Amino acid sequence: MAKYDVHEVMVCRIASEMTEEGDYVTILGSFTPLAYAAYMLAKLTHAPDAWLVGYNAIGMPPVELSFTGSEAAAYRGSLARNSFTPNGHLVHLGTHGLLECVSSAQMDGDGAINLSAIGDYDHPKVRLPGGAGAPEVVQNYRKVVAYFSKHDARTLCAKVDYATGRRTPISRDKREALGLVSGGPVTIVTPLAVLVKEDDERPFAIESVHPGVSVDEVVAATGFAVDVPADVPTTAEPTAEQIDLLRNRIDPLGTVRFDFLSGEERLAYLEEVLAKEWARAEELVRVTAPVG
Amino acid sequence: MNKITHLERLPELVGDGAVVAFGGGWFANHPMAAVRELVRARRTDIHGLALLGSVDVDLMVGAGVLRHLTFSMVTLEAMGLAQNFRRAVQAGELPITEIPALSLQVALEAGGQSVPFMPVRGPIGSDLVAQNPEVFGTARTSFGDEDVMVVKAIRPDVAIIHALRCDRLGNVQFDGTYSQDPELAAASDTVIVTCEEIVDSSEIAAQSHLTKIPGFLVDHVIEAPFGAHPCSHVPRYAQDAWEILEYQKAAMAGGDAYAAYVDRIRGETEAEYRERVLAGDRGRVLAALAEAGPTLQEA
Repeated sequence: MAKYDVHEVMVCRIASEMTEEGDYVTILGSFTPLAYAAYMLAKLTHAPDAWLVGYNAIGMPPVELSFTGSEAAAYRGSLARNSFTPNGHLVHLGTHGLLECVSSAQMDGDGAINLSAIGDYDHPKVRLPGGAGAPEVVQNYRKVVAYFSKHDARTLCAKVDYATGRRTPISRDKREALGLVSGGPVTIVTPLAVLVKEDDERPFAIESVHPGVSVDEVVAATGFAVDVPADVPTTAEPTAEQIDLLRNRIDPLGTVRFDFLSGEERLAYLEEVLAKEWARAEELVRVTAPVG
Repeated sequence: MNKITHLERLPELVGDGAVVAFGGGWFANHPMAAVRELVRARRTDIHGLALLGSVDVDLMVGAGVLRHLTFSMVTLEAMGLAQNFRRAVQAGELPITEIPALSLQVALEAGGQSVPFMPVRGPIGSDLVAQNPEVFGTARTSFGDEDVMVVKAIRPDVAIIHALRCDRLGNVQFDGTYSQDPELAAASDTVIVTCEEIVDSSEIAAQSHLTKIPGFLVDHVIEAPFGAHPCSHVPRYAQDAWEILEYQKAAMAGGDAYAAYVDRIRGETEAEYRERVLAGDRGRVLAALAEAGPTLQEA
């Protein structure tokens, strides 16, 4: 077994949600490296024909993650192009959406996500970015995966300060009765475990714990009640092939680490990554510059 | 008919207190030359509308351009929170209207079609519905007895968009990412387009499949090369992540460091800005990155 980092366990678990069946579509939102890595990994392994839309590039190919190269690659390799609004109609509102990955500041036991404000909405302690399309998307996609760079009771909390969005109801029969998109549950992926909620009447249940993590640790770190099944399996370890693809082809610059850094540390790491991108870009100019 | 004008004139084309929709999304094709010109004009009265804002909104907030912001998201993505936006809202200095992106798009479409509202498969379960009674409502029709969620039409006074090329009649072409710019143009009373280059109408006709906004929607055309910089304008140039990092460092430091960043923009013309930020290999590097675009399938 290859040595792996915990974020690679997370990427591989998220990637397993992405499938080709039914021609459902996944739209990439803001550059959230961990989710992007999962999409690219699925395209390069078990779901080569899965539909991805990045920027306005429909059917974009898998691309290497970078600040300065990903958009051009998505655009050059895409099969169709649209502006946001028709794409939103076709996929989000047209209920062709497959997998929505969100990473919010808080999530609670009802599955509400907070991307708006910590503290009082009108006088926030921290004003967050806002949810973009997430409030509609968590309602209209088949699967919702919330991922977090840390697993603690502040993040997975009893009640979010503000519900920017919430998949409701969650139970399949209730969704079908209301004419809402059926399909998958709400899944949470953290550095400790995978939690899943399929039934409005039941709490999130522990689906699996990552290698080396105990069930008690997960329960103690979660701010809402969780169901603990009699048998809790261990999350699948990444394969040597997955590790090789992630490190050497999908994310050789190491952008996935951004999801785990904040403030000054993040800026310092950003400088490092951008220095590598500059060196590669200069090489490109030298190679493509006209001779003489 | 000639709609061509100059960037220096742009601030006077935007009325006092106007609701202005800014094009682009994430770090792609924001009309940054126009944003900088509003900063240079020391505007303080604009109600900005940004679907997916980034460095465009944060710069306008930091320079005091906006009196109100309607948005679905403002973020510097992997580079961190939008610092000026965050600080201004926390301090109670920037009134906001937060509308989820799909609903905001549908509201703009309703504006473009001159209907008062449109039904939307909306954000049920979001606190933003009750937060915004002037945006979200319900309607009952003669087709059934169920209430449906609707969003009220939004009709901005002005849209400002950055495009690849345009002719004197205002026919607008894009070849890469163009966000929701055609819908903004349809919804807004006055449409101002900045573009990488103004071309003859025969060049537009030669590739008419790239025309995404027909000239009858457009009022003013302005040539502004690298007008989306430091954002991307694929296929001409990639995102200048190095400049955005400089921006974010100044924004995180705040105070004098950020004031110096804004003062530098105010102290130079747009042509001088281009000379400064694209010095050395920068312009060629950004163009080469946008041109290269290797995918993992070809690798």
